[in-house]
Amino acid sequence: MESLRGVKMIYELKVEEDAPMTVNNFLKELLTEGEVDAVIAMTETPSGKSAFPTMISHPEKLSTNVFAPLLPVSTGTVVSKVTKVKPPKKTLAVVLRSCELRALTELVKLNQADLENIILIGVDCSGTLSMDTYQGQDQDITEAVLKNESEDDLRTACLNCKDPVPKNADLVIGTFGADTDKNLFLDAKTEKGAEIVSALGMDESEGEEVREKAVQDIRDEKEENRKAFIQERSEIEGPDKLLEFFDTCVNCHNCMKVCPVCYCNECIFESSIFDLEGDKYMKKVEGKGAYKTPTDSLLFQLTRFNHMMLSCVGCGLCEQACPSDIPLMDVITGLADNAQELFEYEPGDDPEEELPLVVYREEEFEDVEER
Amino acid sequence: MSEEVENADEEFEPKIVGLLCNWCSYAGADLAGTSRIQYPPNIRVIRVMCSGSVDPVYINRALLDGADAILIGGCHPGDCHYIDGNYKARRKMALLKNILTTLGMEPDRIWLKWISASEGQEFADTVQEIVEETKKMGPNPMKERWNL
Repeated sequence: MESLRGVKMIYELKVEEDAPMTVNNFLKELLTEGEVDAVIAMTETPSGKSAFPTMISHPEKLSTNVFAPLLPVSTGTVVSKVTKVKPPKKTLAVVLRSCELRALTELVKLNQADLENIILIGVDCSGTLSMDTYQGQDQDITEAVLKNESEDDLRTACLNCKDPVPKNADLVIGTFGADTDKNLFLDAKTEKGAEIVSALGMDESEGEEVREKAVQDIRDEKEENRKAFIQERSEIEGPDKLLEFFDTCVNCHNCMKVCPVCYCNECIFESSIFDLEGDKYMKKVEGKGAYKTPTDSLLFQLTRFNHMMLSCVGCGLCEQACPSDIPLMDVITGLADNAQELFEYEPGDDPEEELPLVVYREEEFEDVEER
Repeated sequence: MSEEVENADEEFEPKIVGLLCNWCSYAGADLAGTSRIQYPPNIRVIRVMCSGSVDPVYINRALLDGADAILIGGCHPGDCHYIDGNYKARRKMALLKNILTTLGMEPDRIWLKWISASEGQEFADTVQEIVEETKKMGPNPMKERWNL
């Protein structure tokens, strides 16, 4: 969607206290100037242990930190919740990271989110930490991650991010290529976004080239990371390795529940379809002579892969939610890339592009019929 | 040695799950039966309304439970009773096979074939072919796994 409709304007946000406070003030201006009626943005909880996307309508209640390096839930899921039944009549601005925007774009395609009256503000993502790491850190963790000083602590998903730069947002708050002690970029990507910045009267930035280079650099770096990671983990292959990998799965389905693009209203694995009569279980056991209970852990994972891989945005929430600490991204990263490559589909890239499994061409995939 | 392998081959009778669409392949199988065309008894047929309605969960379940091969039978391209179910089935199967390949899980045990209601012989030949190819592959290793 970059430069769509010929809109391409980069403005500058001067950092006053620090980067989070600067964005907070910008959001405050949006509210007080009446540009939007409410915002959803990451806000640290009072204990400081966590941060959550928070919906705020009173300017004085704004204490956001859009750079808080934590992903407790995908904001894509939150927007789906707010707009699925009926989008609001008033204007709502939502601040999202790149993976959350990708998820939201997929949810729109799945008719599970509606962007009417929603203003999307993307934010460059320097990565997020696990809940444990985040809780164990002092207050400066936001700054440390923003300045790439905590790279070793980033979640696997973030180290191998598909693209840390937001796509399909009306406005993008840019940190890549900026000295975050002095300024941030504000990139108007759509007419809606441009209208807002012009209403607020902001200064144009002269750092466009610097930003473009920084964006390219970080994209290259992540792509390299991702390729190396997939190569390294490609040994998890075949029944032995796969069963070992999922050995500690307790079949809790947390990975499915937190997944922003897992789209069924009722998961087949949570339905009664696998609830069988005792005699059926007795007959089933005769087949192999023994089976582990609860049954179908691997069936669940395999099926989830089939349902989700084409829309997988690589947020890694599944891995974060696993109570057995199964490093799901070790398997999912390569699976998703292979599947998406096969269908030449990039989830979250183009809102106009249809989901691969709802369209077809008359002549394609003929090798599948060979066998 | 080669004799032993041959004997082992003879002993292994693959179990094949057939998911056949109501409008074409199932009728094709029916025609094979009523026409008394001989085909191996290794296939267990399940009638489905459309090849496009076959979710990967059913195939995965058969695979993990130890089916040696799975046949998804649908109408020829352009002939789907629901217009485009078979095209969508092909996409789903392409994805499933891609995923199984990445995981090293024998995608070749899954067969997608177009068999029309008039192709009784084609159905019999398909089953014959699957039995032969599956015998070459040997039994599904998941048959012995209890810890899934």
